[in-house]
Amino acid sequence: MTTELDGTGVTPLSGVGTALWYEPDADLPEPPASETVDADVERAAFEQARGRAHEELECERERVRERVGKNEAEVFDAHVQFLKDPQITDAVEEAIDDGLPAAHAVRRAFEDPIEQFEGMQGRMAERADDLRDVRDRLLRILAGGDRTDLADLPEGTVLLADRLAPSDTAQLDPERVVGFATVTGGRTSHAAIFARSLALPAVVGVGQALRDIPAGEEILVDGVKSTVTVDPATEARKRAVGGLDAEVRYEPAETSDGKEVEVAVNLGTLAEVNAAVERGADGVGLLRTEFLFLDRETPPDEDEQYKAYTKVLSRFPESQVVVRTFDVGGDKPIPYLDQPAEENPFLGERGIRRSLGPDVDLFETQLRALLRAAESEHGDGLAVMFPLVATVEELDAALDCVETVAADLTAEGVLHEVPDLGAMVETPAATFMAGELADRLDFLSIGTNDLTQYVMAADRENDHVADLHDPLHPPVLRAIRRTVEAGHGRNAWVGMCGEMAGDPDLSELLVGLGLDELSMSAVTIPAVKATVSETDAGRAHALVDRALAAESREEVRDVLSDGGDGL
Amino acid sequence: MERTVTVVPEAGLHARPASKFVQAANEFDAVVTIAPADDGESVNAGSMLAVTGLNVEHGDVVRLVAEGEDAEKALDALEGVLSSPEDDDR
Repeated sequence: MTTELDGTGVTPLSGVGTALWYEPDADLPEPPASETVDADVERAAFEQARGRAHEELECERERVRERVGKNEAEVFDAHVQFLKDPQITDAVEEAIDDGLPAAHAVRRAFEDPIEQFEGMQGRMAERADDLRDVRDRLLRILAGGDRTDLADLPEGTVLLADRLAPSDTAQLDPERVVGFATVTGGRTSHAAIFARSLALPAVVGVGQALRDIPAGEEILVDGVKSTVTVDPATEARKRAVGGLDAEVRYEPAETSDGKEVEVAVNLGTLAEVNAAVERGADGVGLLRTEFLFLDRETPPDEDEQYKAYTKVLSRFPESQVVVRTFDVGGDKPIPYLDQPAEENPFLGERGIRRSLGPDVDLFETQLRALLRAAESEHGDGLAVMFPLVATVEELDAALDCVETVAADLTAEGVLHEVPDLGAMVETPAATFMAGELADRLDFLSIGTNDLTQYVMAADRENDHVADLHDPLHPPVLRAIRRTVEAGHGRNAWVGMCGEMAGDPDLSELLVGLGLDELSMSAVTIPAVKATVSETDAGRAHALVDRALAAESREEVRDVLSDGGDGL
Repeated sequence: MERTVTVVPEAGLHARPASKFVQAANEFDAVVTIAPADDGESVNAGSMLAVTGLNVEHGDVVRLVAEGEDAEKALDALEGVLSSPEDDDR
């Protein structure tokens, strides 16, 4: 019997495997009578446990630094400080003086601070997770337990837990764990961040219903649909595994009536190129260039960028490679950029706004490298797009920059070519002006993550508004439709490069909406190609008409779930 | 000895800056307290719990009070943590 539970998907990945419960906090037995407790022995036990916990934290920090990254490792510094906190150590000593054994004293000492942080909002509430993690570590050591070896789980495990602490997720071996689901936690919880870093399918915040799933069941964790399914239907299972095992098609996908839809890949680093080629990407729909700029002290020069771009082009010699000019804002700190603090970075100076403002020199250098790459051996397929365009003036200014750079290169006698140019449609403003933007361009690419965030006024990172941050809300669908029609009316092709594009359950809808290109993580390419090839355009158009007439997300979902059957 | 400092790190006194701050406070013999400048409630600067519990954000002004032989040094070090952007050592 199939059961489906809703949570918050934190990676656009899905996986099927065998459920295994991770239950780190064993209940403590009732404390013995206080006169039988030797306070000196307990104090020594606590000190010893504290020392060992400190050592473990140092090891784990190094391990995470190597395996995941510096930023993710920082949480362990905070844990070390909590471990040394005088308020906590004093409270433990006091409890031991009251006649409690060390373990019970630790539990009591952490109670108030955990409760205090739990009562607070946002990231303060997540400190409660850190405190629980530190407490449980101490309790485990005091109980004489070894570390639960999460690195040594059976292959094909779907890990279920109330919550996963940073030290837990850091141990998970992505080769063995196909995904995890937790009772609590939001999109910004540590577990979510680790899942994204390790590219693990994960659904968090499923609620108490998750507890009813017994170990040993076959489970589908679907980070795209934000669901956990027990005993999934064969079709759903095939689709989930499809990302890895389904037949890979190297030829472009065509609908049953012969419309070709390009299924391309979103790339964030050069390291992902191989996986994309292996999974049958028709091209690159979004090359995020921030990787060239992050984690370094000085910006990359023109030649370094030229090499990176030509390298990607050479791996997709016959295909289109869409490069997005760098898209940074207050939420992505870069040491060599002047980034003043902003009240609201997502509505602040980011994307093209910075490229035309404080980072204009970097922008010109990037354009020089791109125009040179367009003239290189495989440069024909190069296309360049600008992020977060909101006005025609911005676009005109960006196009002027391209012209100036081209003129400079000509004057210098440097070989170059002006590639196809496009704009990201991520702001409601751009959807209203899509026609005027498309007049000046070869293509538009809809970034559904930001578009949804801005149309629905719902922070994509805020767990409490996760329901609003869903592209299936009718206003988002209508904004997409409007953009596609405006683009096609001006002879511009229109693609999509948000998470939505990689959801095979939505492929039929997106084909019906008229998108010419869908770009996604490599992992979902085979499944989307398969769905597109099975799509009948007539049915897809009818589906779109009904979805666009819907008044609510629920209605849209109903339309999608009965698909053509209701026609 | 007392000093008033504006908190520069983007994350405020949370996460990494908080760890660095508490660690620095514990490196000196001086007893240091920290309080939001507009509110008298001061807490032990050497306690991660107390410091994060203040919920100090980027741009907030805090008052540091130190007592002890190396009070001035302690204040210099802590001011250093609070006034450097958090990514300076990446």
